[in-house]
Amino acid sequence: MARISKSSKSLLVEEYITRLEQGSALLDDSPQNLIEVVGILKSYGVVLDAYSVNLNYIADTQFLKLFPFFKYFNGKVNANTIAKFIAHDRLNYEYAEYCMKAMFWHGGGGVDAYLDTPEFATETERLIKAYHRYNPLMLALHKAFPDFMCEQMRQMAYYSALGQFWRVMSDIFINLSDSYEKGKVKSIPDVVQFVLDGLVADAALPITYTVHLRGQEYNIIPKSAGLTFLMDTGVPYIEAIFFRGTPFAGTVSYNAQAYEIPYDLGMFNYGALYADPLPIGGAGIPPTLLMQDMRHFLPDYLRQLYQVKSVRGLGDLRVQICESFQKSMFCVTTAAVKGLAPHPLDTNDPEEKLANRKYLTRWLNRILESQIIKVNNETQDQSALRVK
Amino acid sequence: MLSALILIPCLSAAIIGLLPAKGNSPRNLAIATALSVLAVNLILAFQFDFQHNGFQFVEDIAWIDWIGLNYHLGIDGLSFPLVLLNSFLTLIAISSTNPQIQRPKLYYAMLLLLSGGAAGAFLAQDLLLFFLFYELEIVPLYFLIAIWGGPKRGYAAMKFLLYTALSGILVLASFLGLVWVTEANNFDYLFLRSHHLPLATQLLLLAPLLVGIFIKIPIFPFHTWLPDAHVQASTPISVLLAGVLLKLGTYALLRFAVGLFFDGWLYLAPWLAILAAISALYGASCAIAQKDMKKVVAYSSVSHMGYILLAASATTRLSMSAAIFQMVSHGLISAFLFLLVGMVYKKTGSRDVDFLRGLLNPEKGLPVTGGMMILGVMASSGLPGMVGFISEFLVFRGSFPIFPIPTLLCLVATGLTAVYFLLVINKVFFGRLTEGLAQIPPVKWKEHAPAFVLLLLIIAFGLKPDWVTHWSEVQAIALLPGS
Repeated sequence: MARISKSSKSLLVEEYITRLEQGSALLDDSPQNLIEVVGILKSYGVVLDAYSVNLNYIADTQFLKLFPFFKYFNGKVNANTIAKFIAHDRLNYEYAEYCMKAMFWHGGGGVDAYLDTPEFATETERLIKAYHRYNPLMLALHKAFPDFMCEQMRQMAYYSALGQFWRVMSDIFINLSDSYEKGKVKSIPDVVQFVLDGLVADAALPITYTVHLRGQEYNIIPKSAGLTFLMDTGVPYIEAIFFRGTPFAGTVSYNAQAYEIPYDLGMFNYGALYADPLPIGGAGIPPTLLMQDMRHFLPDYLRQLYQVKSVRGLGDLRVQICESFQKSMFCVTTAAVKGLAPHPLDTNDPEEKLANRKYLTRWLNRILESQIIKVNNETQDQSALRVK
Repeated sequence: MLSALILIPCLSAAIIGLLPAKGNSPRNLAIATALSVLAVNLILAFQFDFQHNGFQFVEDIAWIDWIGLNYHLGIDGLSFPLVLLNSFLTLIAISSTNPQIQRPKLYYAMLLLLSGGAAGAFLAQDLLLFFLFYELEIVPLYFLIAIWGGPKRGYAAMKFLLYTALSGILVLASFLGLVWVTEANNFDYLFLRSHHLPLATQLLLLAPLLVGIFIKIPIFPFHTWLPDAHVQASTPISVLLAGVLLKLGTYALLRFAVGLFFDGWLYLAPWLAILAAISALYGASCAIAQKDMKKVVAYSSVSHMGYILLAASATTRLSMSAAIFQMVSHGLISAFLFLLVGMVYKKTGSRDVDFLRGLLNPEKGLPVTGGMMILGVMASSGLPGMVGFISEFLVFRGSFPIFPIPTLLCLVATGLTAVYFLLVINKVFFGRLTEGLAQIPPVKWKEHAPAFVLLLLIIAFGLKPDWVTHWSEVQAIALLPGS
């Protein structure tokens, strides 16, 4: 990630605040960026839809199973699906789990807080006892290690929360693509506005998690918990996946003594906005799975762009997809930052403006450490080349 | 039949030089010639009697009577693997040449002349004829480095020319001395070999011959022309230089130094074994310090040539067979490594181990080249399953009973092979791809084909070493006294 000096960073923060106030996005607007962002979000929408179906399936039917061998089959276990699974003719649902685990690990937001409440513990305990009603061995183990299965249900709650979140996001992204094809979305700020409208429209959707066992209903996260789509899953998701994440094993070294790892580990970022796209395709690089899935659903116009953009044509498709994906995530982040701002960013009220600036400065101090400067520099270089 | 191995490439070189160049015609004709020579070699291979310890397919024609020069060719278990290696690597070198090379007529003509000259040297059973071919291959190689080489090609080509010309003079001096002391009226190898000379005379004649051969192989401290020549030569020329032309030196070592002056050889053998160990260790130590990938492979050659000298010094049945095997093994492995280094250079424009990084990147790097490089390094380091393991095991097993300390030192050099190559692999292929290399073009399968063929042979001979040893077993014994 780019290292920026303090003085130049404050100038950059000022520049980006002005951009956002004027209705622009973090990502530079250019025809190529628009094609990349909309195209990749379309394929992402298709993939997210499948991921959300699987996450919800696992949360609803695979809870407390010791060996959920067929959790990626969505209940369709037959010779054909097993053969396809072995031949790897399937989506990489493991990536959805990777994101779920990243959220679970980093925590934050209402879901995380609710999973530590007595209400959750009581309902989970009731479910565990009911599930293992005829299994004294498991009940004895549960007695000896009471946190184990409870933790499993916390994880299941995250499966469900992320599944519900992606279900909504999938529709937003596919609708965005439809609007682009109808000529309604013509620029990167239009993309940001579209996503923002979608987020705002669904912001108050309740996040719940209920399972059924032998005709009985167990409200692990009841509606009464008051958890909502945007604040309790959207924001923690962005924090965990876009900002913090985890460095890809074996690709980057940090020197803690040279302060490359911040004292406050919460400020240590290697999420989607920060990650290096180049190692994509290598062993142990989780987003490779997502890029592999997305390449099946790329719209033709994006595929044609990739063909001419790289000297390798489609030979380095996964890295190109990752670069576009990173751009698209800057747009989603812009929408989230705008949506969560204390006041509309185009306000003329000095007090509201000041509050917004404080809020934006906090975000931008983190965002400007990401790949955004590099990505925008590349966009400007490409524009300059076209002019020449 | 043997003449065909010399005449086909030489005539083809003349035809390429005289005919008007149209499109790819020089290249196509060169490939057709190399294929024809390989086919003749394969026909000979089927007719070759492995159990016969003398020369076969002999052609003996009086040429210039008054100086005693005869056109005397023959092939045996020592020369056959090298002739085959020569024709095979010539094909590999032509295939790996850039089809858009400048001045293609001259280039392919020189390449074929070089190949024909090397074949002639391996086949000549007349000392003077050997010398003529030994000198003949210097000329095309000089031009191939001086015209199609790197930025310092003039310097490297001149250095190569001076060193190898001196080598030729020393070899000729020894041959003339031998004819003079034996009062022979010709340069026939078998005839001269049948003379038994006093030890002092042998040593006197052996000394210039050894220095000449050591320059050609090369052995420390006569090696300095080789890294320069390799670095400046284009990839196909490096393939031939390492794979075939260095073998002219080791071939002359076994054929003439051991074959003609055996007592003198035995007398010097303990010192030669020490020199072999020094050369192996020196080459390996220099390779560790290099920043240019090609220089690493070049110094690796200096190191591995030391093993051949060690095996030849031991003069046991096993070690002589090992020396021949090591020649074939090194010819294949070094050619393979040079091809891969050339591919890295072609795609990235650099061989600098401090600049290159992350080339194993599966999407934007050179993963297949990197994967093969790792296999090549494994072969060169003598890992089991590869031809390098068999040859080095035979060398050490055959030499240890006679020269345990030099053998152990050479074993250390083998360990160092892994060190310097792994340093290169680690720096060049692992880690994050260098920023400036994010747009390097991919390698087409066609470009990798020559390296794939070499890799197949490296593995095949590693798994089935008797495909090589049965050619040379009988002849290896025949080189020893009493045969």
